[in-house]
Amino acid sequence: MKKILTLSVFTLLVVACSQPNNNTVRVAGSTTVLPVVSVAAESYIKAHPNSKVVVNAGGSGVGVNQVGSQQVEIGMISRDITQKEINQYPQTSFTTHVIGKDAVVPVVSSEIYDAGITSLTLEQIAKIYRGEISNWKELNGPDKDILVIDKEASRGTRHVFMEIVLGDKEAVAAGADLVLGANNEEQTALTQSDSALGILSNAWLNDDVKGISIIMPDGEIVEPTLENIINNKFPITRDLVLITNGEPMGEIKAFIDYIKGPEGQKIVSKNGYVSISK
Amino acid sequence: MASTFISIAITLLIFIVLFGNSYDAFSQIGWDLFSLTWNPAKDQFGVLSMLYGTFAVTLIALLLAVPLGIATAIFTSEILPDRFRLYVKSAIELLAGIPSIIYGLIGIALVSTWVASIFELSSGRTLVTAGILLAIMILPTIITLTDDALHNIPKKYKETSKGLGLYPYEIIQKTLLPLAKRNIAGAVLLALGRALGETMAVMLLVGSIDKIPQPFFNLLSPGQTITSKLGREVGESAFGSLHFSALNAIGFLLLLIVITLTICTQLYFRKEARSL
Repeated sequence: MKKILTLSVFTLLVVACSQPNNNTVRVAGSTTVLPVVSVAAESYIKAHPNSKVVVNAGGSGVGVNQVGSQQVEIGMISRDITQKEINQYPQTSFTTHVIGKDAVVPVVSSEIYDAGITSLTLEQIAKIYRGEISNWKELNGPDKDILVIDKEASRGTRHVFMEIVLGDKEAVAAGADLVLGANNEEQTALTQSDSALGILSNAWLNDDVKGISIIMPDGEIVEPTLENIINNKFPITRDLVLITNGEPMGEIKAFIDYIKGPEGQKIVSKNGYVSISK
Repeated sequence: MASTFISIAITLLIFIVLFGNSYDAFSQIGWDLFSLTWNPAKDQFGVLSMLYGTFAVTLIALLLAVPLGIATAIFTSEILPDRFRLYVKSAIELLAGIPSIIYGLIGIALVSTWVASIFELSSGRTLVTAGILLAIMILPTIITLTDDALHNIPKKYKETSKGLGLYPYEIIQKTLLPLAKRNIAGAVLLALGRALGETMAVMLLVGSIDKIPQPFFNLLSPGQTITSKLGREVGESAFGSLHFSALNAIGFLLLLIVITLTICTQLYFRKEARSL
């Protein structure tokens, strides 16, 4: 009896640890791209019952690393791949596939928004992140310390934002109070605070976390609307990208084509991003 | 026998793998590991703020959990009637089985907002919040082991004390606690191990910023622990890079801390036992 038990446990282990079948496409990375890909994966599986798509989060840095080390077939990123990352994986030839467009928006707690801070210049935002402005009073807001929320260093949203605002995608934000990760974590922190400034993907804004407009050097106030993202007026935009190792083939290609196709692009728009057909 | 060897082998393996992977960091960064700036983009890896955070959070957790835990254990083993003891103890032990991510979510949803409103902070993600959560997480370990320690003291000690005319609180204070001292210390040590190593709940609550608060005893500010750093960055670092090696190095430091604490306590109590 004991022998049989041991044997069956052993077989189970072997089965459980064996390679997943070839139809499985593993995806991981940016939480900005995640909503699109996970919804797309669901409807893709419905249309192709023999396929399996497994989607995980982690952030753009994780997406690049896992494609680089060949742990997943598709990586989701919402920024460019850095030179350092390309050098890290000489065996991997990263191929990018743009599936949509998004903006990175500075966001404030609703209390701050309602108190009248609805737009800032890039210079003012930079000063807050550098720690030179630390109270909303200095920007004609309420007398409250600014809770400056930064993001983990390799997050796509941070790279894109810091490149435009502080001039270097890996700039150090000396004024930061908290460092958080995924879009939803950031959203929660912004909602819980009444004096926070953070960075979010445009699609993650809602009534509790309000995106502010950017005052351009010529005085024009640009709101983070889809229209302004499409015509590139909003200063901080980026592509939503899937990456593969070399040109995708078979199931992987089929899934990427599905997202680029009409049904996938519908999902992109539905999630608040700009589809590539526009 | 075999399982003992397996445990020893696994511990050794972890030690060797961690050291091997962190060798690059130790040789290339050297003593600069003990500086303040952590910036992988510029190959700066200073761990001081994380060491500080780890010690601060653990200290808060122990300060809250040890007195509370021992008091509860005295109650369950000495004061509570035996027929209730089992139910109460099972309920407490159930606490130990709750996954730490659940504690993290409760911490984010409730504890952090309470801390923020009580102390009028702009954010409830602080070292104190993480410490409070950790205290709740290690309480069951302390309670249940201390309770066992007190309960397992042979009846004759209690009866002799009673016979000498001691009051109940004197029996607990003068007879039972000193007798159970070693086991209670063991319980605290086990709890300490969990507090030092806990990742998910701490990561969600501690604020994750690589700074030592200003002034340094202001524990109501966000910080970073070794485990929260590892949890947030290990997936982002490329295998084989200096960044990855530095993360292994801080893991190795944490392991060293735990081992040192364990050995110190063991030595201390061995001496005690001899002098008895």
